[in-house]
Amino acid sequence: MPLLIRLRRILPALIALSPTAVFVFGIFLGCLIWTCVISFTSSKLLPNTDFVGFAQYARLLTTERWIVSVQHMAVYGVAYVVGCLVIGLLLAIFIDQKVRFENTFRAIFLFPYALSFIVTGAVWQWLFNPSMGLNTALAGLGVAGLDLGLLASPDTAVYGLVIASIWQGAGLVMVILLAGLRGVDPEIWKATRVDGVSPAKTYLWIVVPELAPGILTSVVILGIAAVKVYDLVVAMTQGGPGLGSEVPAKFVMSLLFERANVGLATAGATLMLLAVLCLLAPLLYLSYFRRGAR
Amino acid sequence: MSGAPSIIVPRGRRPQRLSMARVGIYLFLLISAAFFLLPLYVMVVTSLKDMGEIRLGNIFALPQHLTAAPWVTAWGSACQGLNCDGMAGAFWNSVKITVPSVALSVLLGAINGYALSFWRFRGAEFLFVVLLVGAFIPLQVFIYPLVRITSAVGLFGTLPGVILLHVCFSLPLMTLLFRNFYGAIPLELFKAARVDGARFWSIFLYVMLPVSVPMIVVALLIQITGTWNDFILGLVFAGNDNRPVTVLLNNVVNSQFGEKQYNVNMAATILSALVPLVLYFVSGRWFVRGITAGALKG
Amino acid sequence: MGGRHVVSAVLATLMLSSSVLAADLTAEVMHPWTSGGEAAAAKVFADQYEAAGGTWVDNAIAGNDAQLAASISSIMGGTPPTATHFNTGKPFEELVSAGMLRDVEAIATEEHWRDVLPQAIIDAITADGKIMAVPVNLQTENWLWYSKEVFEKSGVAEVPKTWPEFFAAADKIRAAGYVPMAHGSNSFWDRFLFQKVLVSVAGPELYLKVLADRDPAALKDPKVVEAFETLGKLRGYVDAGSPGRLWNDATNMVITNKAGFQIMGDWAKGEFAAAGMTPGVDYGCSLFPGEEMVVMSGDIFVLPKIDDPDQTAAQDLLAHVLFAKDTQLQFNIKKGSNPIRNDVDVSSMDACAQHAAAVQAEPGHLVPNPQFLMSNDMLGAMADVITKFWNTPSMTPAEFATQLQAAFESAV
Repeated sequence: MPLLIRLRRILPALIALSPTAVFVFGIFLGCLIWTCVISFTSSKLLPNTDFVGFAQYARLLTTERWIVSVQHMAVYGVAYVVGCLVIGLLLAIFIDQKVRFENTFRAIFLFPYALSFIVTGAVWQWLFNPSMGLNTALAGLGVAGLDLGLLASPDTAVYGLVIASIWQGAGLVMVILLAGLRGVDPEIWKATRVDGVSPAKTYLWIVVPELAPGILTSVVILGIAAVKVYDLVVAMTQGGPGLGSEVPAKFVMSLLFERANVGLATAGATLMLLAVLCLLAPLLYLSYFRRGAR
Repeated sequence: MSGAPSIIVPRGRRPQRLSMARVGIYLFLLISAAFFLLPLYVMVVTSLKDMGEIRLGNIFALPQHLTAAPWVTAWGSACQGLNCDGMAGAFWNSVKITVPSVALSVLLGAINGYALSFWRFRGAEFLFVVLLVGAFIPLQVFIYPLVRITSAVGLFGTLPGVILLHVCFSLPLMTLLFRNFYGAIPLELFKAARVDGARFWSIFLYVMLPVSVPMIVVALLIQITGTWNDFILGLVFAGNDNRPVTVLLNNVVNSQFGEKQYNVNMAATILSALVPLVLYFVSGRWFVRGITAGALKG
Repeated sequence: MGGRHVVSAVLATLMLSSSVLAADLTAEVMHPWTSGGEAAAAKVFADQYEAAGGTWVDNAIAGNDAQLAASISSIMGGTPPTATHFNTGKPFEELVSAGMLRDVEAIATEEHWRDVLPQAIIDAITADGKIMAVPVNLQTENWLWYSKEVFEKSGVAEVPKTWPEFFAAADKIRAAGYVPMAHGSNSFWDRFLFQKVLVSVAGPELYLKVLADRDPAALKDPKVVEAFETLGKLRGYVDAGSPGRLWNDATNMVITNKAGFQIMGDWAKGEFAAAGMTPGVDYGCSLFPGEEMVVMSGDIFVLPKIDDPDQTAAQDLLAHVLFAKDTQLQFNIKKGSNPIRNDVDVSSMDACAQHAAAVQAEPGHLVPNPQFLMSNDMLGAMADVITKFWNTPSMTPAEFATQLQAAFESAV
């Protein structure tokens, strides 16, 4: 097809896509590159072009608060992803047993996912309140020795965040995996029963591997949520006690504004970006390159 | 979500009648349900108690004297600083931010998805990959340059500014969703329309939009909850006059005089979660499809 | 509100520039004062400003850090408020050197600010010979506020004057079933506690060597190590609900006789006042154990450059109103701090304020808090180490000193 005619044919499509293209190549890539570039300068409150090589990264990697932030993110991320997967998978399997009131159960497990992290944080902060929350209520019910004032100690605050976010996110995994379960070939059950394989073993060795795509999707979504976690920490612990629940996103935000160190903050942001890209790689590979675009 | 098996028909093992296993299944589900409902229950009962009852410390107890006062306070006169205007203003701010953001982003997403699916040209794939990655990038990477850009064009701290940013950051996900949706529509439909001589926009308006209603509903749900629940864009870019509920809630919960008014805090919390909650309970099945679609592809 | 104001004849007598006339004197003011006493103090400013013909738009943001973030981002974003709050000291200097603030030299000269301000404050707010901010108060940070009832019921007869007495009293309070020390732990308030203990145990000279000169040898001085040990010992006297608690919630524990004392600046008085309590009568105040000193901090308002004659006029009026004698007295009574100008008659103020005024008048007894001595970046890096030390009982004073040293070296 001659170029001109071809161009005329796709012109409306190009026009339609132009706002998105402007956004993607202008704002999006522009900001991304800008952030990376600034991370190699000595910028303080205002960005400058005094390049200092990897000095900001060197400082970042020796800064206690950044190190513990990354550790918290890792602990939080692993516990959150594993917790959501285990609970989500169990819920999906149990719901898939032809139970009554399936819709009601599903609705109950999923509704927290509709709530913001700010709301989730506000509620769980109240529940974990050492003097008025679950602790006092349990003592009132005669349950002793179970300390649920998780947010009061730097050693346990992260697990407080984990419980709150599992509450919020497990329903999502349940829904994704339930869709997967309903796609499993029903013949499997007949076959395994004939062979005398127990249901538990069938689930573990045959059904769960079939759910791999759903599990992978869940891991990527939850993993990225863990890298980004910010609102929840702000609402629940403000990073405390001490540095007990500081996370990278909060570090970046506070360096950017209150502490007026844009160079260090953008270095942190760049590392967060790298973490997300690493998490995305398998999904990109699976959903795009392998399958190929249409 | 095309071709995904129905979520409605259980395919698990056929159950035996009322065995111990059966009892166990229901027990597990009931305990889990209690865990998920407990915080909601505590929120509601706490918001209906007076402070005297709350001080007794049993957060599970039903209120002895029902009071709606915390709700009235939370809506109309909860304080942040000298401003004791309650959540009402911020609630409407969230509406003002959410409605245009959602309408624009869904419309643009549909147009983009359509253009990318049916009007292939060089560079489209690259655009698509960047969008895919973009759907996941932490906002913190963009915040600082965006403050500078929005201020340079006079949009920092304004309603149009925060709406524009919401649209921008929703575009990747919306485009992906619609591209995947249109990707599953038979190409013949498109070709037939082209043979009839229809152009880009008329095909979109008269052929594609009518078949996209299910996807649009799903996209609306994802966008409304996502935009309503945003904190960081509202915090940094909305400005004093346009603070959304999430930002105000955080201020109210973390700033109070003398004794903390937990009942007011809880009422304010429920108020700020009201829109997504109602949407969730009203739209039921669509909601499930919505978030799985958003989750699976975005 | 928010409409144009025709300035009354009263204002014409204020001898402000004529551009004020017929200007829209709407002032959006950002500040972090959200607790009861603080809000009442902010209201004095608002009322006085409106009485002078302006319109006050209050923009309070909970939390010092959050307020700072919001004001910096709005100044950077080109939509600055008419005025915004800073703590006196280095934090606002970067905005000054970035050329984002206007000076108030004209008004300051006209109203002879330099004649009535302490030299340390003049130094802190001057850049290139021009006054760059409106100082509004001088705060005493190192107060011990105590519940007379708790002290009495625990058998603490005398207010502790030395650290051994202090810990003996705290032990008695705990034995009697009260929380000895009400504290809301986060990096800001943990640092706050640290600087008080340091100056009290090690003395002002070593304090300045550590925080101003950041002399590595000073960190190893036995007196400084003793200060760190004292801080570490204090950890054992707070309750489990301390982390993340707001400072005013902690004050409330003393007000309601749940806790023995709180270490807090004089703004805590505002909370007691809001509960209808009089200092010295219904509750006690005492400067820190050891030689009596005043660790000062303060609040200032800075005026961002705004290319709008109306806003400039509003800023002029604001500077005039905030610094006026009458405003100073009323504001500081509510806020609990002392007037920034030394020509205000403090005899109508409470006993604690008068005591602080007497102590700080003695030479060498007014010690600057770290905000006068280091950048936000370093202040933050130091606070991170302090809050970690405070919340990690296993961390030794030696480890603490090493990490402080590292923080000083890494930050700029």
